[in-house]
Amino acid sequence: MKRIQTEILVIGGGATGTGVAWDAALRGFQTVLVEKRDLTHGTTGRYHGLLHSGARYVLKDADSAVECIRENRILRRTHTHCIEDTGGFFIVTPEDEDDYPDRFAAACLRLDIPCDEIPASTALRREPLLNPRISRVFELPDAAADSFLAAHATAQAARQAGALLLPYHELTGLHLSGGDGNRAVSAAAVLNTVTGEELRIDADLVINAAGAWCGQVAALAAVEVNMMLGKGVMLATNARLTNTVINRCKMPGDGDILVPIHTVSVIGTTDQQVSDPENLSIEQWEIDLMLTEGDKLVPGLSRSRILRAWAGVRPLYHEPPPSHDSIHRPAPHPNRRASQLEASPASPASRDATRALALLDHRQRDGLSGFITITGGKWTTFRLMAESAVDAACAQLGVTRPCRTAETPVPGVEQGHYWLGHRLDEVESENQQSDLICECELVTRAMLEGAAQRNPTVTLDDLRRDVRLGMGPCQGGFCTYRAVGVLHQLRSDETAYDSGDWKVAHMQSPAHHHRDGPPADGGPAEHAPAAVPNPRRQSPAIDPSASVSQPNLLLRDFLQERWKGVVPILWGDQLRQERLDELIYLSILNADHLPADEGQSPLSEFYRSGFSYPGSRLT
Amino acid sequence: MTDLLIIGAGLTGLFAACTAARAGLNVRVIAQGAGTTHWHAGTIDLLGYLPDGRQPVANWMQALGRLPPAHPYRLLGAASIANALDAFQQLAAAAGLPYERAAASIDSPGPSAPSQPIDREDDSRGHFTDIAPGRNGQLISPVGAGRPVFLAPQAQLAASLEDERPFLIIGFNGMTDFYPALIAENLRRQGRAARSASLPLSRLTSRRDHNTIQLARLLDQPAAQEKLIEMVSEAAASGERIGLPAVLGLKLHTRLLAKLNQASSARDRRKTPPGSPLQPSFSLFEIPTLPPSVPGMRLDASLRAQLTRLRVRVEIGMKVCGVRASGRRIEWIETETGSRPLRHTARNYLLATGGILGGGIRGDRCGRVKETVFDLPLTAPQTRSQWLRPLFLDKRGHPVFQGGVPVDTRFRPLGRDGAPVYDNLWAAGSVLAHTDPIRERSREGIAIATGFAAAHSVAKGQ
Ligand SMILES: Cc1cc2nc3c(=O)[nH]c(=O)nc-3n(C[C@H](O)[C@H](O)[C@H](O)COP(=O)(O)OP(=O)(O)OC[C@H]3O[C@@H](n4cnc5c(N)ncnc54)[C@H](O)[C@@H]3O)c2cc1C
Repeated sequence: MKRIQTEILVIGGGATGTGVAWDAALRGFQTVLVEKRDLTHGTTGRYHGLLHSGARYVLKDADSAVECIRENRILRRTHTHCIEDTGGFFIVTPEDEDDYPDRFAAACLRLDIPCDEIPASTALRREPLLNPRISRVFELPDAAADSFLAAHATAQAARQAGALLLPYHELTGLHLSGGDGNRAVSAAAVLNTVTGEELRIDADLVINAAGAWCGQVAALAAVEVNMMLGKGVMLATNARLTNTVINRCKMPGDGDILVPIHTVSVIGTTDQQVSDPENLSIEQWEIDLMLTEGDKLVPGLSRSRILRAWAGVRPLYHEPPPSHDSIHRPAPHPNRRASQLEASPASPASRDATRALALLDHRQRDGLSGFITITGGKWTTFRLMAESAVDAACAQLGVTRPCRTAETPVPGVEQGHYWLGHRLDEVESENQQSDLICECELVTRAMLEGAAQRNPTVTLDDLRRDVRLGMGPCQGGFCTYRAVGVLHQLRSDETAYDSGDWKVAHMQSPAHHHRDGPPADGGPAEHAPAAVPNPRRQSPAIDPSASVSQPNLLLRDFLQERWKGVVPILWGDQLRQERLDELIYLSILNADHLPADEGQSPLSEFYRSGFSYPGSRLT
Repeated sequence: MTDLLIIGAGLTGLFAACTAARAGLNVRVIAQGAGTTHWHAGTIDLLGYLPDGRQPVANWMQALGRLPPAHPYRLLGAASIANALDAFQQLAAAAGLPYERAAASIDSPGPSAPSQPIDREDDSRGHFTDIAPGRNGQLISPVGAGRPVFLAPQAQLAASLEDERPFLIIGFNGMTDFYPALIAENLRRQGRAARSASLPLSRLTSRRDHNTIQLARLLDQPAAQEKLIEMVSEAAASGERIGLPAVLGLKLHTRLLAKLNQASSARDRRKTPPGSPLQPSFSLFEIPTLPPSVPGMRLDASLRAQLTRLRVRVEIGMKVCGVRASGRRIEWIETETGSRPLRHTARNYLLATGGILGGGIRGDRCGRVKETVFDLPLTAPQTRSQWLRPLFLDKRGHPVFQGGVPVDTRFRPLGRDGAPVYDNLWAAGSVLAHTDPIRERSREGIAIATGFAAAHSVAKGQ
C-alpha cells in the first residue's frame, strides 16, 4: 500500500476544505487534501451563488451576519474575479409590510452593514422586471459569486503554496493511537475511487471539512457530531431576469432570493431537514413553491423557461446545549454580543439553525487530539472557517503561525470582477466563434482542453464545473458529443501533460487559452490505431487515462447527469429541447447502442439514482 | 379552391404535398417553421429498433408484426409502406438526389455507378432484387455506432458496416462537429479495421467559420473541390473506404463525390500491385453530423424544388391561431400576421405539424399535453409524473414522447368515441399516436408512409 506522510490532512474539497488547505499551506504546513469526488461536487457546487452582505441574517442570526460582512469585504480583494459586483436589493413586497424593514435597517446599522434605502421607483428603473408593487427598497453590498471558480482558484493558491490535492480520493477510515488520556488520530485510510488503489496517509492532524458529511467523517474517529442537514432546491431560468441580487425584506424563508449568475437567474431555496447528505431529491411542491414565490419578486417568473433544478444540503450544526463551551468561535468581534438580540430555540428546524460557523476542537470536546471539525457557516465565510480551523490546529500542534489568507489574493484576481459580457467580448475580439464547443456558455475548445489538462478530469461533469460546459439552454445537447470528441482526441495525442498542475486561474477566459494554446491547424495529423493509451506523465492525483478508453462512458454519464437535473422541470420549450437532444443522441448518434461500453465511472450510479422527481414516478 | 391545405413543412408535409399534387389535387402548404428535416441525417430510417428491443431490426417487414396493433405501420401494412417508399425513391431520383437501399450498397458495383445519379426507372442491373425486401443496412453514426437505415442518399451508401473493407475516417482540424479519431475507435471496437486522419482546413480556406453549412458552401466551389481531392488522395491508402463529414457541398455534392471516387479508383489502380484484384471504386462516403445537417438540407431543398415544379406553394412563418369547425367539418383556419389574422379555406386539411419536437404537440407545467392546432384528443399521459423515465437512454423511451393523435385506417383523427372527429381533417407523421419515431428510428419511414397514405385518402375522397 502506498503511504504518504504529512502534517495536516484535510478531508473535503468544497469551499471550506480548499480554504483550509490554502490557509495551512500558506502557514507553512505540509498539507494534503482528499476529496472523494471532484472539487466542489458537494454543497459548494450546489449552492445559490450569493456572496452575502450579511443583511439576510441581521435579525435572525447576528453572528452569521457579522461573519458575512467581514468576509464579504475580504473576498472582494482575495477572490475578485470570482465575484460579480451586482449589488443587492432587499425589497418590501405587499406581503412583507410590518415593522421588519425598520428593524432590519436599524440592525444593519448596528452591525456595520452598509444599507441605503432608495426610492422604489429608482429600484424599478434599474430592475424593470421587479414586482411594481414593492413599497420600499434597501441597497446592500450583496454580490454573485462563482463557487466553482473560487474553489479552483483557492486550490491553485494552495498548490502553489505546496499543498497536495487529491480529488477522487475518499477517506474510508481513521487510525487512532494511544489510550485513555492521550487518544489521537494518527493516520487515514484513503481509497482512490477511480483506480481502486488504497493509500495510507500519516498525518499529525486531520481537519474534517466534509460539510454535510462531517458527521460521517467524525464517526470514523468514533466521535459524535450531529449535523443538522437542510436540503434546499433551486431553479435556474434561461435568462437573467435581474442584474441585481434580490432578497425579500423579511425573516428568511423559502424562495425569497433571486441571484443573477452568469447568463441565468436562480430562484431559491427551500429548506427541508434531511438525514442523508446525499439526499438531493426534488419534490413537486418544491418546484411549485419556488415558482409561486418567484412571482412575488418578478411577476411572470413562473412562466419563464426553466433550465434546470438542483438541490444542495446545508451543513448546519447545532451543538446540544450542555457542551456549549466547546464550540469555538473566532476571536470576539466588537459586535460579538449581537447574538443575544434574538435568541434561537434550543432545537431549531434547519431553516432556523444558525449559519454561523462551528469549530469543534475534538481534543477539548472529546479528548481526542489530532482531529478538528470545521462546519456550519456559509460559502461566504469559508475563508474565516479555514482561518479558525487552522488557528485551532496551530494551538494543538503547539506553534504560532499567523493566518495570511486575508491579505493574499488567489491567482486570477488581476482579471478584476467578473462581468457578464467577458466571455463574449473575448471570444469576439479573438475571433474564436468557430472554436466554440458549447455555444450556450461560450466555452471554446482551448478552454476545454486547458481545463482537462490542468486538473484531474474523470467525467464531463468535472469539466462543467471547470468551464460551465453544458449549463445553458440545451443542457449538453450539442456540447456533450463535442466534448467527448475533444477529450478523446486530446488523450490519444502524444503531448505529455500533468493533469495535476492546477493552473486554473484563467480557466474561464477564452482569450487567455487562445494565446496559450497550440495553433489550430497543425498540418495533417494521423492517428494510428491506438488501442493502448500512450505513455504520459501521471499526476500523483489521478490516473488521467482512467476514462480515455471509455469515451462512450463519458458520453452516457454526462447525458444522464444533465437529464437528472432537467426531469423535474421539463415542460413547454425545455421539453421540446430534450426531444431535440433525443434526436441527436438516439437518431443521429445512436448513443444508446454504442459498442462494448458497459463500464461504470465512479459517478455513474450517482447520476442514475435519487429520482423522487415530479417528472418521474416511473421506473 | 384549395383541395388540400397541409399544415407543416417537414418531410411529412412536403412529401404528402407532392403525392397529392401528383394525384391531381390543388395543394398548399403552410407552416410555422421550416420543419425538422434539416436537423436529421438525411437518411430514410424505417424501423431500427422495436420497443424494448436491444438488437437493431434486421428486416423491418418481418418486424412489423411485433409492433403494437395501433402503430401507424400496422394500420398501413408492408405493401403500402413499400409503395410509398417507391414513390419517394422516384421523386428523389427525379430531383437529382437518388436514394438507394442501405443494405444494397455492397452489391452496387460498376465504375460508372457513382458518376451519375442512378434513376430507379432506368436501373437495368436490378440490384434491388438481390436484397431481401425490408432488410435494413447499418451505416456509421458520427460517434462510430451503427445506424439502422433503410434508404440512404448515394453519398452515404459506402459507409455500410456489412462491408469488410477497412475505413479511413477523415476530419478537419478545427471542425467542432466531427471527431474522426472517436469514430475510428468505435469502429475498431466493432471489429472493423479503421484509422483516422485530420486535414488542415487552412489548405481549403482562410475563413474561420467551420460549421457544417459554411464548409458545404465552400465545397460547392470548384477550387476548394480540387484542393480537397488532392488532400484526400494524399491521406488515403489503397483499398480503404473513406468517410468524410457530410459537408461535400449543398448543391453539387454528387459531382464532387464522383470526382473523389474517380480520384480514389485511379489511385487504387496506381497503387495496386499488378495481378491483385481491383478494389471496388465506390469507396467514399459522408457521415452525417450534428444539426444543422447538410444531407437533411439537401433533402428538404430537393422536395421543395419538386413542389415548385408541381406549382405547390410552401409558405413558412404561418402560425395557426384560430380554427372554425361546424359539425364534422373544418370550415377554415387562421394564421397570425402583424395585423389581423389571415384566413385559409380548403376542402381538406392535413395536420403534419410533428410531435413535441416539431411543435405539433406541447406539454405544459400542469401536465397537460395538447395538440397545438385543433386541440385534438391525444393518447399522451396527462400527468407529469407519468411522462419521463429516470434514465435518459432507457430503451423503452419516455411516455410523453409516445403520445399523439390516434387515427383510423384512412388517417383521420379519432375522437374519444373512436369515430373520426372531422370528415375533412387528416393527420400524418410524428404527430401520430402509438409510435415514438425517434426511439424506433422510424422518423422518415413514418413521415413518408403516412404522408403518402393520408394524401391518397384525401385524393380518393375527392
Ligand atoms: C441550497 C443552498 C443554498 C446556499 N446558498 C448559499 C449562498 O447563496 N451563499 C452562501 O454563502 N452560502 C450558501 N449556502 C451554504 C454553502 O453552500 C455551504 O455552507 C458551503 O458550500 C459548504 O462548503 P463545505 O466545503 O463546508 O461543504 P461541501 O462543499 O459539501 O464540501 C464537503 C466535501 O467533502 C467531501 N467528502 C465527504 N465525505 C468525504 C470522505 N469520506 N472523503 C473525502 N471527501 C469527502 C464531499 O464530497 C464534499 O465535496 C447554501 C447552501 C445550500 C444547501
